[in-house]
Amino acid sequence: MTLFDLLLQQTINGLSLGAMYALLALGFTLVYGILELINFSHFNVFMVGSFIAMGVLQLFGLTGQDVILTGLPLVGVLLVTFAVTMVSSGAIGVAIERLSLRPLRNVKGPAAMITTIGVSYILFNIILLVCGAEAKNYPNPMPTVRYHIAGAVLDLRVVLIWIVALVLMGGLYLFVQKSRIGKAMRATAQDAEAARMMGVDVDRVVMMAFFLGSALAGAGGLIFGLYYNFTSFIIGFTAGLRAFTAAVLGGIGNVPGAMVGGVIIGMIEAMGGQFIATAWTDVIIFSILVLVLVFKPAGLFGRMAPTKS
Amino acid sequence: MITRRAAARLLAGTTATAALGAGLSPVLAADKVIKIGADLSLTGADAEGATRVKDGIIMAVDAANQGNAVPGYTFELLTLDDGTATAGQYDPAQAATNARKMVSDQDVVAAIGPQMSGAGKAMAPILSQGDLATITPSSTNPDITNPKFAEQYRPAGKPIYFRTVTTDAFQGPNMANYMAEKLNIKSVYVLDDSGAYGVGLADAYQAQIEKKGVKVLGRDRLDPKAADYMTVLTKIKALNPEALYYGGVGQAGIKLAKQAYDIIPNTIKAGGDGVYGASFLIGTGFPAADGWYATIASPHLTADTKAANFVKAFTDRFGVAPEDYSITAYDAALVIIDAVKRVAASGKPVTRSAVRDAIQTAKVPTIQGIVSFDANGDLADRTVSVFQIKKDTSAKLDDISAQYHYIDVAPQV
Repeated sequence: MTLFDLLLQQTINGLSLGAMYALLALGFTLVYGILELINFSHFNVFMVGSFIAMGVLQLFGLTGQDVILTGLPLVGVLLVTFAVTMVSSGAIGVAIERLSLRPLRNVKGPAAMITTIGVSYILFNIILLVCGAEAKNYPNPMPTVRYHIAGAVLDLRVVLIWIVALVLMGGLYLFVQKSRIGKAMRATAQDAEAARMMGVDVDRVVMMAFFLGSALAGAGGLIFGLYYNFTSFIIGFTAGLRAFTAAVLGGIGNVPGAMVGGVIIGMIEAMGGQFIATAWTDVIIFSILVLVLVFKPAGLFGRMAPTKS
Repeated sequence: MITRRAAARLLAGTTATAALGAGLSPVLAADKVIKIGADLSLTGADAEGATRVKDGIIMAVDAANQGNAVPGYTFELLTLDDGTATAGQYDPAQAATNARKMVSDQDVVAAIGPQMSGAGKAMAPILSQGDLATITPSSTNPDITNPKFAEQYRPAGKPIYFRTVTTDAFQGPNMANYMAEKLNIKSVYVLDDSGAYGVGLADAYQAQIEKKGVKVLGRDRLDPKAADYMTVLTKIKALNPEALYYGGVGQAGIKLAKQAYDIIPNTIKAGGDGVYGASFLIGTGFPAADGWYATIASPHLTADTKAANFVKAFTDRFGVAPEDYSITAYDAALVIIDAVKRVAASGKPVTRSAVRDAIQTAKVPTIQGIVSFDANGDLADRTVSVFQIKKDTSAKLDDISAQYHYIDVAPQV
């Protein structure tokens, strides 16, 4: 492998990581944009999503990497799995909001944020107790198809992951920009009180933000499983923390910022591992975060919000 | 009123009893109860193996109680879990807490465990201060018993950390010999999982393989909690070594094996006893696990004719086949029972310090042969066995004896 091949391969690796972080970062950003709440339960909604998807794939009779599907059955199975996973993860997000966060909506201080940490641990332990502690061999029906580009290898599943991530993120962006409820979301993010006075149903908007963010996290969980052929009850924290960092880096509350932030973190991880050492990944990622925040406290694409009364 | 601490103790007690399950035989009223502590990694990536180790101990303790091995005494297990949900595998802090729990329970006269060296390093000083001997069935980091580190790991002086396996001072280097002499590799890349065991094993391996004239193309450290090792594997692919050696346990090992299968399918891949066992097979799955070399720090016991009865009884009772470390754990329990027996027979009170002294001078016939220890607590026998995973479709995926093909004893350093 020449240096060029190596750079190309690490770029492919970095973009795959980035796509996953970006999907996850969007959930943080959506909720923060509207409620100014850092939702730590998002970490483990992602993890639960990967388990839900695993259950769905198993219902199709898929275990391990033995059963390979092609053509229409593959597309069908993946579509159904994505749909079920995203709707159920979204429902979990809505339930979290409705049961544990809405009652705290008007409580000042860190109560709501601490609650999300609590919910995160509840999800974590439920999966631990119900599904067990061991690493799961993830069912994966995707055939191994490889494209050789110069000296680098591009897997079909990597391409699929990029496409799914792009479609979901593009869809979200259009939804927020064009749809009625999307406009209501942006209005609420700018000024919840004014939006309410204009007749926006803020509760519905908040619920929608949780639904969308959690559905994307669920999709991220499924992608994670298909990409690594593995899941475990513990995957939420490392991925969640890096995705959260991506959201902050891009400017928390800013949807395109979260996507760019995710890709940047993914690329740093890949290139840092290549040219420095994998053990230093976290040091590099968080040093860059600190540097960016020192010079641009609102993140790369964020604007400092006017203080809300 | 039940205080919080009392409630926690109550809960811990119930869990320990529940863990023993049906294994307890009725305690005779006159019998004095002696507790054997057991610290295992029952939560997390190594849970599957830990359960089989625990079952090995239960077999020995039940047999001793039923056969009235030490008249007037009944054995009871105090099983503690050093795996935590947040760590996802063994957690040294939890191991230290467990060591304190054992030391503070006066009925505990000896212990078995821990499985993991990282846990062992945390427990050894506490056990030393409490004068409580432990016998590990699988932790292989040599530092813990090395007299050079006596101040750190046995501050009270006497050796308290015994093993029914040999150490990584042999496991790593012997495998290096095997790979250089038998697999004829000329270059290798070395990885570890940042844990005490993994780093020590990889260091020992690397030192010996360099001595054998094999080029070490690089060394990297994996974060066991990270999911993605494609970056480092891509780096390895570019360097194109003939072999990859991984020092570490299952949490990183499973992910490494899966991703290595995609990126460097034709490179020889090898690890220590961290990649040996049911947890690794189940988590990794086939085809990714196929072809991996693994070692254990003991002779290959489950295939031994002397072990046939044990293997059958174990499989009948628990529904799964034992691992070799189920047998080293069984042997560890036999050594403790024998030590208690000798102390009781001599008419002295069965105290921790008496049991420790008896373990030190043990010459106990076990499944792996006569177990005796050197002055530091290390096993006299230094055999390292080499295995390779080859898929056997006729057997269950997690059947270790079918999927791990025994190759040979690795050449001794």
